[in-house]
Amino acid sequence: MFEQSRLAEGAGKSLVNRTLMMVALVMIGLVGLFFALRPGTTTSGTATPADEPQERAYDVAIENGAMSPVEVSVEEGDQVTLRLTSGSPLEVHLHGYDLEEEVLPGEETVLSFEAEISGRFEIEDHETETALGALLVQPR
Amino acid sequence: MRRAFVLTLAVLLLLPLTASPTFAHGLGVSYDLPLPLWLYLYGAGATVLVSFAPISLLGGGRRAGGEAAYRYPRFDLLRIGPLRVVLTSKALLLGLRLLSVGLFSLVLLSGFFGRQVPASNFAPTFVWVVWWVGFGFFVAFVGNLWPLVNPWKVLFEWTEALVRRLRLGDGLELRETYPAALGVWPAVALYAVFVWVENVFWGSPTPLYIAVLALNYSVLTWGGMTVYGKEVWLRRGEVFSVFFGLLARFAPTEARVEDRRLCRACSDGCGAAQGDCVNCYECFDKAAPEDRELNLRPWAVGLARAEPVPPGGVFFVILVLAGVAFDGLMETPLWSELRRATSMPPTLGLVLLPPLFFAAYLSFVKLSQLFGGGKGRLRLASLADVYVYSLVPIAIAYQVAHYYTLLLVQGQEVVHHLSDPFGWGWDLFGTARYEVNPGLVGAAFVWYSQVALIVVGHVLAVYLAHLGALRLFGDRRKALRSQLPMLALMVLYTISSLWILSQPIIVEEEAVPTENAQPDPTLREPPMPDVG
Repeated sequence: MFEQSRLAEGAGKSLVNRTLMMVALVMIGLVGLFFALRPGTTTSGTATPADEPQERAYDVAIENGAMSPVEVSVEEGDQVTLRLTSGSPLEVHLHGYDLEEEVLPGEETVLSFEAEISGRFEIEDHETETALGALLVQPR
Repeated sequence: MRRAFVLTLAVLLLLPLTASPTFAHGLGVSYDLPLPLWLYLYGAGATVLVSFAPISLLGGGRRAGGEAAYRYPRFDLLRIGPLRVVLTSKALLLGLRLLSVGLFSLVLLSGFFGRQVPASNFAPTFVWVVWWVGFGFFVAFVGNLWPLVNPWKVLFEWTEALVRRLRLGDGLELRETYPAALGVWPAVALYAVFVWVENVFWGSPTPLYIAVLALNYSVLTWGGMTVYGKEVWLRRGEVFSVFFGLLARFAPTEARVEDRRLCRACSDGCGAAQGDCVNCYECFDKAAPEDRELNLRPWAVGLARAEPVPPGGVFFVILVLAGVAFDGLMETPLWSELRRATSMPPTLGLVLLPPLFFAAYLSFVKLSQLFGGGKGRLRLASLADVYVYSLVPIAIAYQVAHYYTLLLVQGQEVVHHLSDPFGWGWDLFGTARYEVNPGLVGAAFVWYSQVALIVVGHVLAVYLAHLGALRLFGDRRKALRSQLPMLALMVLYTISSLWILSQPIIVEEEAVPTENAQPDPTLREPPMPDVG
């Protein structure tokens, strides 16, 4: 009787140990894999110029309900200028940043803002609420 | 049932079936960036790596398996005095029900009479973001409030009470015998319609269509409750009760009845199968207060309970899984290419995807049966039943990863809609000028949390399927072997979830039909005085 319960206890203990070891191994694997795959970030302190926020300007033409280029990709913190032109008059709405501007044919409309929120923000025709393209703000 | 079919047909006929492919999505626009490649690869690697944890937990050890009752830790919240007072308070329940019926009425009113602009109307944001996404999360992560607040159920009960009080008769139910073989197939059909409306129907953000659909669905639901009885229809045909009931299996709370006789007499025979009665709201309603328990339990354990799956139940789960995947798939370049190459309408994609998922599921279950060597003894159908709930964490994980930012950001819209539900320029609570804060969570945090959610959902799924196998095969070795194909299937599902999240989002270029852009001018501005 006594022996049996000791035995069961031992088996239970080894199960707990096995489980703990497995969990530890999996955790080590997960962390290791993370650092192995993560793209090389700059070592602390010395940021390269490419990591600093930049000023970026893009010419964006709107034709037949689509932007060209259809996506504009910047990095968080960048000072962004979008110079918009369109064949037909429309009201452009940049989601998230909630900027609205009228674009008239033959004129250049400038949208200028600091890209302080990361994410993917659609740029839509305000009248029809259809997407013309998107602004992608990559996190730093 | 014939009546239900006629009504379903009526719902469909009331919709313009000329749905054209557009980007107009019922849920508004998410601000998520696609996962970067390295994080996608990490997620895939992590998925495979963590798959070994459940196997090592369950594969070895001294677990008896077999037909032993499934146990998990639970704690009865009703045992705590003050909590019991609050949780069983009649006033609180009435308050919740009034709130629910009030919100339901507001959706109908703002849909029919409000401005037909999705961004200025209460109905679209409330229905698609706050209720469909937000309430669903609440059910999965806290508990199933739906049986308490379901406006269709509440209104039916109130009408019945009125009928009795006026002595017009003994309730409304005709109690026709519900064909047992029909199972939850009516809910399957309705869920398919719902997913179509959500993802394909261009009018899904239009307040008027939301109200029309809600009204049609009300007629159908009350019809079903009248013909077959309220409880039967809620369990089999009321698609949201079936759906939230599925999510509630994941929830960390359960409603339990400790009265065997009552449960055996239940119209569902709920207590007969396992000897206990959990989340059967019919029994819970009828039980004496001292026989009721409201238990806290670990997440996901409810999915491993050995309960009989009704006919259509397996397909329902697969449909939920395929539905959430379809939603994301529609925005991928692959989908866009496929459509360009085959000029396939999105509806066809929605028709094909669930059977494809179903076939994949059955094939892997078949493999599991062969690997487990239980061919002579175990029927394929019973294996399919046992494993199917283990897929639920994968569906929930994907749904949360895909939508939680939408809930956090677009959900804020409801703050200003509450002050001006009809878009008439009201400011009832002084919040009409509330501006949405789009930067609550940064994109990097969103990425990491998405991968974490999906990997955790995967571990739970693998664990649950393994538990099911142990119970069914009753032998550790056989169970372990049987799990190799299931593991492959789950890795496949999980990596596709990650893949969808990593795909660049495609902006469809087709124009929205003019009806959507410019609603009927008579609907646009109802002649109502401005207030405030």
